[in-house]
Amino acid sequence: MSVEFMFIGKRTPRKDAEAKVTGMLKYTYDLEVPGMLIGRIVRSPYAFADIRRIDVSEAVKMGAIVVTPSDIPQKPYNPRLVSINEVTFKDTYILTYKPRYLGEPVAAVAASSEELAQKAAECVKIEFEKIYKPILDPLEAIKPESPRIHEKIMKGDKWIEVENNIAARLDYDEGDVNRGFEEADVIVERTFKTGKRYHMQLEPKAVLVVLEPGGKLTIYTTTQTIHNTRILISQLFDIPESRINVIRVPIGGSFGSSIQTNYLVPIAVALALKAKKPVKIAYTREEDILDHSNFVFHFKIKIGAKKNGVFTAAEFINILDVGAHQVQPYPLLGTSLGWFISMYKWKNIRYRGIAVYTNKVPGCALRGYGAPEVQWAVETLVDEIAEELGIDPIDLRLKNYVGKGELFWGQGPTVKSIIKSDGVPELLLKGKEIIRWSERGHPSEKKGRFRRGIGVGRGFHTSGAGGPISGEVIDYTGCILKLNEDGTLDYITALQDHGGGTLDAHVKIIAEELGIPPELVNIATASTETTPYDVCTHASRGTYVGGECARRAAQIVKQKILEAAIRIIGRVVNPEALRIGYDKELKQAVVYVEGTDIKLTLAEIARTSWQRNWGTIGAFVSYRATSAPPSFTVYYVEVEVDTWTGKVKPIRVVAGVDVGTPINPDMVEGQLHGGFVMAWGMAFTENTAYDPLTGEIMGRGLITDYKIPTAADVPTPEEFTVIIAKTYEPTGPFGAKGLGEAAMNPAVAAILNAVYNAIGIRFYELPVTPDKIIEALKEKGELEW
Amino acid sequence: MCINMVKVAFKVNGEHIELDVSPRELLINTLRSKLGLTSVKYGCGIGECGACTVLVNGEPVLACLTLTVDVNSKDIITLEGLSKNGLTDIQRAFIEEGAIQCGYCTPGFIIMAEYMLREVPNPTISDVKEYLKGNLCRCTGYINIFRAVLKAAKSRVSR
Repeated sequence: MSVEFMFIGKRTPRKDAEAKVTGMLKYTYDLEVPGMLIGRIVRSPYAFADIRRIDVSEAVKMGAIVVTPSDIPQKPYNPRLVSINEVTFKDTYILTYKPRYLGEPVAAVAASSEELAQKAAECVKIEFEKIYKPILDPLEAIKPESPRIHEKIMKGDKWIEVENNIAARLDYDEGDVNRGFEEADVIVERTFKTGKRYHMQLEPKAVLVVLEPGGKLTIYTTTQTIHNTRILISQLFDIPESRINVIRVPIGGSFGSSIQTNYLVPIAVALALKAKKPVKIAYTREEDILDHSNFVFHFKIKIGAKKNGVFTAAEFINILDVGAHQVQPYPLLGTSLGWFISMYKWKNIRYRGIAVYTNKVPGCALRGYGAPEVQWAVETLVDEIAEELGIDPIDLRLKNYVGKGELFWGQGPTVKSIIKSDGVPELLLKGKEIIRWSERGHPSEKKGRFRRGIGVGRGFHTSGAGGPISGEVIDYTGCILKLNEDGTLDYITALQDHGGGTLDAHVKIIAEELGIPPELVNIATASTETTPYDVCTHASRGTYVGGECARRAAQIVKQKILEAAIRIIGRVVNPEALRIGYDKELKQAVVYVEGTDIKLTLAEIARTSWQRNWGTIGAFVSYRATSAPPSFTVYYVEVEVDTWTGKVKPIRVVAGVDVGTPINPDMVEGQLHGGFVMAWGMAFTENTAYDPLTGEIMGRGLITDYKIPTAADVPTPEEFTVIIAKTYEPTGPFGAKGLGEAAMNPAVAAILNAVYNAIGIRFYELPVTPDKIIEALKEKGELEW
Repeated sequence: MCINMVKVAFKVNGEHIELDVSPRELLINTLRSKLGLTSVKYGCGIGECGACTVLVNGEPVLACLTLTVDVNSKDIITLEGLSKNGLTDIQRAFIEEGAIQCGYCTPGFIIMAEYMLREVPNPTISDVKEYLKGNLCRCTGYINIFRAVLKAAKSRVSR
C-alpha cells in the first residue's frame, strides 16, 4: 500500500534536540529546590535476615530526619500497577525488618547535605536477630526443604500462602502434545539459561518530593508512568490522588527499569512527610543496580518436526528467577508463553511456567519482557532442527512462522488479536540477499585463528497490550489537544518519551491529520493533574497506542476548526467542502475551498473564535487499542570469532524491520542500532553475578564489572544496513506499529547462530564470555594453544 | 564538621570563579551544584561512563574523578561554554544525524568529539571509535554518533 504523506516518513529534527545537544535539558537528577534535604537509604548488609531493632539515636543526634519500618505504613505492595488488581502479587514493604536481598532498604535518613546524609546513614545501627544463608538458585529454592523467603503475600486483596518459594505459576495446554511428539521425525530438546542483566540506563534513578503549601505533594521522578506512580503513592500513604501531582520529567533512558515505581519514591515521600521539607534522593550507580535488574530465565524446550519441516509439537518449561520480590513475574509467565506461541505454528503445546523467589535483587522488565530470551532459545532450536532435517533455516522459518491472518498472542493469554500486516517474507528474503546467505559455508570448512560466520534470527514484539477484550493487563491512554488563540496547538499527554522520539511521532501524526506543519504543535509539560490516565510507556505502545489517540484528537479538532471556518465564511454548506493545508506563500496553515479564492488562515480562525467568544477548539480523548499487532524484525549478522582469545567481533549487520509506516525513518534506524548493540551485550558480557556465600553482587555493583558495549565494540555505519518492510498496519495511526523492543528481540539469536556458523559450537548459557568460547573450543579439540 | 576550606580560583566558560571549597570536593559537584552547570552529568561516579567529561586547559577530564582544588588557576569548558555563541557544527550534526536519543550521555560525547576534532581534524572511523570508547551510551548503539562526528569533521575541514 502506498500513501503519500506530508510529514510522516520524512526526517524532521526532534523537538527536544537543541535542549539535549546543549545540555540544557533538566532530568530528575538535575533538579534542586531551595531548602531541600538530601535523602540516603540504609540498606541491609545481609541477603536474608531478621532485624531485631534499628538504632537511629546517633543519626537523630546529628540532626537527620530518620525513618524506619516502624514509621511507615506496613502494607504489602507491588510497585508495578500495569496488571489488574486481582492478579497483582504484593510482597514488598517500603522499609522492612526482614530483608530478603543484600541491599534491601531498611531505613532512610535525610539531611541538609549529601555528606551529612551519608554520615547519618552510616550511623544507623542495625541489630540482627538471625542471619540466614541466602538462597540464590531457583532450582534449590523450590525444594520443599528450602527455607521460605516469603510466607504470606497478597494476591489482589487476599492473603495467600507461599509454598516452595513459588511466587506465581501459569500452565497452558493446547492439543495433544504426546501424540504430536509421536508423529515427529525429529525431536530436539535443550536447556537454556540467561544472565541477570541490568538496565544500565545512563541516568540513575532519582526522585524529588516537594510539599506544597496546604500539604499537597509534588513528585518529580524517573518514571515511565506518572499516573501509576501517583496511584501507588496514594494507596500506600492513604492520600487522595487529587492531593498528589506527579510531573513528567525527561528521563535519561529506561529500558523497563521504571515501569514500576522505583523503591526510592515511597521512601522519599515518607522522609518528606516526616521532615515537612522537600527531599531529593538520587542514587549512586551502585545503588541503582540494587533497585531492580532483570529476571534470570531457565528454559527447557522440546520441539518436534516432521521430515518435511512441519512442526508437530512443542513443550516449554520456564523457570523464572524473580529475586526477592515480585515486580509482576506473573504477567511475564504469560508473555513468555505468548512470545513462544506466536513464533511458530507448533500445533500441540505444553507450557509450565513457574516464578521462583531467590535472595537476589528483584527482577523487573528489561526491553522485550522475555522476548529476547525466548526468541534466542527458539531461534537456536529452529536452526538446529533445520540442520538436522537438511532444510535451509530460512525456508523452515517461512514454512512455520505465525503471520498474516493468524492469531497473535500479544502480551499473554488474555491479549490476543489477528495479525493484519506482515513483512516477514520480504525481510527474510531481502536480508538473505544482502548478507549473501548462500556464501556463508559450513562450520566444518572454517579453519584458522579468525573464523567468520553468518546467522539469522527472526522475531517480533507487540505494539502495546490492547485487545478486543479487557483482560488482565491495563492498557489505555488519553490526551488533550487544543487550538491556542494564535493558531498554534498544545498537545497534552501523560505518555513518557524515554528518548526514542515517541512524542515527536505523535506530533507528526497530529500534523499529518490536520495538514499543518509540526512546528505549530507544542508538546506541553505534563503532570497527573492535567492529563487523562495513561498506563505507561512500555510494551512498545507509545507510537501505536498514543499515536492513534493523538490522531483521533486531531480528527476532532480538525472538524471543529472546519465548523468555525464555516461560521466565518458563511457561504460554505458543510465541513467536507473545506480543506486544510500549508500555504507556502503565507507560511501558515490555511483552510480553503478547492477551485475558489476562499482562504482563511488557521491563526485567523483561532483568533476569531477567541474574539467572538465561541470558546476553545479542543479535544479530550481516552483511547484503548483493540489490537496489539506484532512488529516483526529479522536480523542477519556476520561475526568473526578469534579462536585464540575467544573474542567475537561484529562484521556486518542487516537489520530488517516491519513497523508498518515508519513515522520517523531515522529514529527507526536509531532504535535498530541501539537494539542490536544491547543484544550484543546480552550475548557476550552482561551479567550481575552473585557471591554464592553472601548473596552480594560481585564487584559491589560497580559498573567496572558490568560491561556494556562501547564505541569500540560496535559496527561502523557502513557495516550496518537497515531494511524497512513496505507494510501498512490498518489499525495503527497512518499504518504505524511499535518498535522499541522488536528492535532488539531476535538479535541475540542471530548473533549466536552466527557464532555457531563460524566455529560449529552452540552455547546455551548467557553471556557467552571469551572463557566459555575457549573452553568449548578446547573440548572440541580446536584450541591452538 | 570542621574541615579547612580552601580558596580556589579558576575560569569556567570564560568567567572567573572564586570559591571556598573543601579539599575533598569533587569538580562534578562544584560545577553542578554550586555553578548550576548541569550539562555535566553524573552517570557512575567512578570514571567509567564519560558523562561528566569537561575540558580542563583543553584536555578532557572526568569531573567525577577530579578534585576541585586541582583545577585551581585552570581553564574549564563545559558544554554550556561550548555553545555560548550558538550551536557548534558538532551539535548541529548530532541533531541532523539522529545521534541523540535520551540525551543524557550527549554532553559528554560532544565535549569528547570537540576535543578529538581539535587533535585529529580529519579522523577515520577507527579514530572516532578510539576517542569515544570511554563514553557510554545505552540508546543509540553509537552508530549515528559516528556519523555525526564524521560529518562535523568533514564540514570543519572544508571550511
